[in-house]
Amino acid sequence: MTIDAVYLLQLTLNGLTLGLIYALIAVGLSLIFGVMEIINFAHGELLMLGAFAMAFALPVMGLLYWPALATAILATMLIGWVIYELLLVRLRTDEFERSILVTLGLSIIIIHVMQYIFTATPRLVDTQYGFAGVEIGSIRITWTRVIGAVASLAAFGGLYAVLRHTQFGRAMRAIAQNREAALMVGIRPKVVARNAVVLAAGLCGLAGAAIAPIQLVTPYMGQFLIFKAFALVIIGGLGNIPGAIVAAIGLGLIESWIGGFFEIAWQEASVFVIMIVVLFLRPDGLFKRGGMRVG
Amino acid sequence: MKSAAILAAALAVALVLGALPLLTTSNYIIGIGVSALIFTVAAAALNLIYGYTGLLSFAQLGFWGIGGYTSALTVVTFGGSFWWGLVWAALINAVIALAVGYPTLRTNRHAFVIVTLTFALLVTLIARDWVGLTRGPLGIPNLPPPRAFGYSFDTTAKFYWIAWAFAVAMLAFLHALCSSRIGRTLIAIKQNEPLVRAQGISPMPYKLASFALSAAITGAAGGVYSFHLRIIDPLFLDFYYMQTFLIIVIIGGAGSFWGVVVSGAALSALPEALRFSADFRMIIYGVILVVAMFVMPSGVAGWLRERKVARLRQSLREALR
Amino acid sequence: MSAILKVSNLRKSYAGVHALDGVSFAVEAGSVTGLIGPNGSGKSTAIDCVSGFQKLDDGQVVLDDTDITGRPAHHIARAGLMRTFQTVRIYERLALRDNLAIAAQQFDPATWVDEFLRTRRYRDAVEAAEARARSLVELIGLQRYYEAETGILSYGQKKLVALAAALMPHPKIVLLDEPVAGVNPSRIREIEVALSELNRAGETFLIVEHNVEFITNLCHRVIVLDQGKKLAEGTAAEIHTDPRVLEAYLGMTPEMAEAEMRGAA
Repeated sequence: MTIDAVYLLQLTLNGLTLGLIYALIAVGLSLIFGVMEIINFAHGELLMLGAFAMAFALPVMGLLYWPALATAILATMLIGWVIYELLLVRLRTDEFERSILVTLGLSIIIIHVMQYIFTATPRLVDTQYGFAGVEIGSIRITWTRVIGAVASLAAFGGLYAVLRHTQFGRAMRAIAQNREAALMVGIRPKVVARNAVVLAAGLCGLAGAAIAPIQLVTPYMGQFLIFKAFALVIIGGLGNIPGAIVAAIGLGLIESWIGGFFEIAWQEASVFVIMIVVLFLRPDGLFKRGGMRVG
Repeated sequence: MKSAAILAAALAVALVLGALPLLTTSNYIIGIGVSALIFTVAAAALNLIYGYTGLLSFAQLGFWGIGGYTSALTVVTFGGSFWWGLVWAALINAVIALAVGYPTLRTNRHAFVIVTLTFALLVTLIARDWVGLTRGPLGIPNLPPPRAFGYSFDTTAKFYWIAWAFAVAMLAFLHALCSSRIGRTLIAIKQNEPLVRAQGISPMPYKLASFALSAAITGAAGGVYSFHLRIIDPLFLDFYYMQTFLIIVIIGGAGSFWGVVVSGAALSALPEALRFSADFRMIIYGVILVVAMFVMPSGVAGWLRERKVARLRQSLREALR
Repeated sequence: MSAILKVSNLRKSYAGVHALDGVSFAVEAGSVTGLIGPNGSGKSTAIDCVSGFQKLDDGQVVLDDTDITGRPAHHIARAGLMRTFQTVRIYERLALRDNLAIAAQQFDPATWVDEFLRTRRYRDAVEAAEARARSLVELIGLQRYYEAETGILSYGQKKLVALAAALMPHPKIVLLDEPVAGVNPSRIREIEVALSELNRAGETFLIVEHNVEFITNLCHRVIVLDQGKKLAEGTAAEIHTDPRVLEAYLGMTPEMAEAEMRGAA
């Protein structure tokens, strides 16, 4: 079977875009884990809410992409803040299973409330760009995908800047690296945790809003993506942000390549197989538990 | 002796439950009885790995599904009997649990939870997409009733007795296991693993055995349930089942054998009562989960135990004065 | 008397710090030996490495003529070396009797088959363990709590439970990691008395501690570590006046220490 170079390139580009989206989700998860030592099972729902926010904001804003994106992100961050203040703030760091079950319950509630109100009918989201795209040779990429990728990259750049250069970011890294020491220095864990959750929600909101014009929006959309994000966080090393990004992009590419040549089932299985292999060889993940190293 | 009294009571209740089809002719009620029995077994298996060993495993859903499909395929594709289907359901799941458990249990608890969740989701995808094996979204309908020595268990009432015998056998086994030294070691591992190692016990074989046993039992339960439904399809792997098992364990009290059994019997009627809207039922499940985690994280049994301990503390304090 | 535990040339470093830098010592059977040193001297690391909870970079550990270097913790325990932990470890949600039963479990010949069939072997093992448990519980004075959940006990009492648990399987030696740290002063004396009695009955202990009085009262020999190396070794009296020890611990010369003690008298 001769492999069409153009086809491969198309797959690769798709894989990169997919990987960036995965990275947005995985980084948020890693962030929350690093700061609070809990795995947020409702993370996928934050993405879904971002997508729905985008779906509703667009018509209101005359299908203008950027204002709708901003609105969606802000709305998701607000929801993240509410979730933190109502529920997550009550969880202690040593209660791992309890926090899973709480966020699982939350996830169930959110999905089914959304389904109850909006039904499971998939929604098509239209933007000012429609289906227009850019052509490179015989490869076609829609603007929405390009913008999605660009926005993701911008978000990572911004995240890097925040973690490296702001007080707020440094506090998060301190807590992730050495909780006791950070507390002794006077860093307030509740404030840092809240910031981390809101930030992670923002990243999810961005991911959801970016996906909305590309895929169909349903209440279950977060669920399909989230379990891969979990696997990515494990593969990359719990709490390790660069690790999560590398793993995410890697997965996006691998899935895209496999999906292009083999059956869908293998594409989905690949993340699981990779995860098991990685755990077998390197139980702590491919990169060590980073405590949010930023480079 | 207190435990002898409890066992005697349990035996009495079991006999009464066995007589259910004689007490009512409503297939609806008997059907609920079948669900209650099977869900209780699955919950008890989850209790073994989560309540006793301290490992939150979402893989149970995967084992349940694999068990259901294995039994169905044994009968329909390979021409075996229902009974062999159950045996294969148990064995195959045990082997899978060992294969998945070995790399995962060497890491940490976080990884274990995530791997088991991913596993369950993967099984769901395979059920839907590997059409050659599982017949895809259409599933395998018209599963024949179990037969033994020429006798056909073709009514709900007759099937009830299979479910009853299965439940009694599985729960008896689990009870024996949980009250043995092995059960005690699992509890110790859950509470303080470094201490267990310092006392000469290697935790890994215990964790693996617990995982494999809970997989086998859950798989067998899935096998029985698929024949109760008379059809198996990807809906069998709906997360709803995992939630049901989880809520039974949490409300009853993770780590309490009888707490989970009683909870299983009581709550299995719940899905039926909440049948009015699938979404609403799930919302209630979610709310129960969240509220229970804050108000009664150790379930009813745990709450009762804590009160007993508080009373003990109080009386000891008074004795010292 | 022969050495029941012999460690030679232990080396362990992490992140560039030499926690253990060629430490060698021996513990005689039937003795109570102290292992002291300022913070960061490597005492706890030594315990962790000897008992298999941390991996040694180099060195050898011999227990009663058996080389146990590098073995996993549970193997070492089964070979007869038991330990307690600095932050007390017991099964808080289990009764005292269960705590002690689990501690003895791995050391009797009964298997799960024996248990299931309730064979003679199983019943004898359980009886023997129960008898040992009751005598140890009496020794530590916690008979009234035999059936109670250990979580309700005070910190000092929990430390006694941990000690009793470590002794259940008739070990060759017990390593105690700061047995009286964080314990009420009134309890410290209780623990001292218990250890003394146990030693008279033939038990061997290696005790890591900061509490100098405790060590002085109990130990036949004391080993002093400093910055990963063995600084001195001798009786408690010898250690007290060893100028190197005083320098390391207190930054004083013998004359200054003398003056200190006279001043305090």
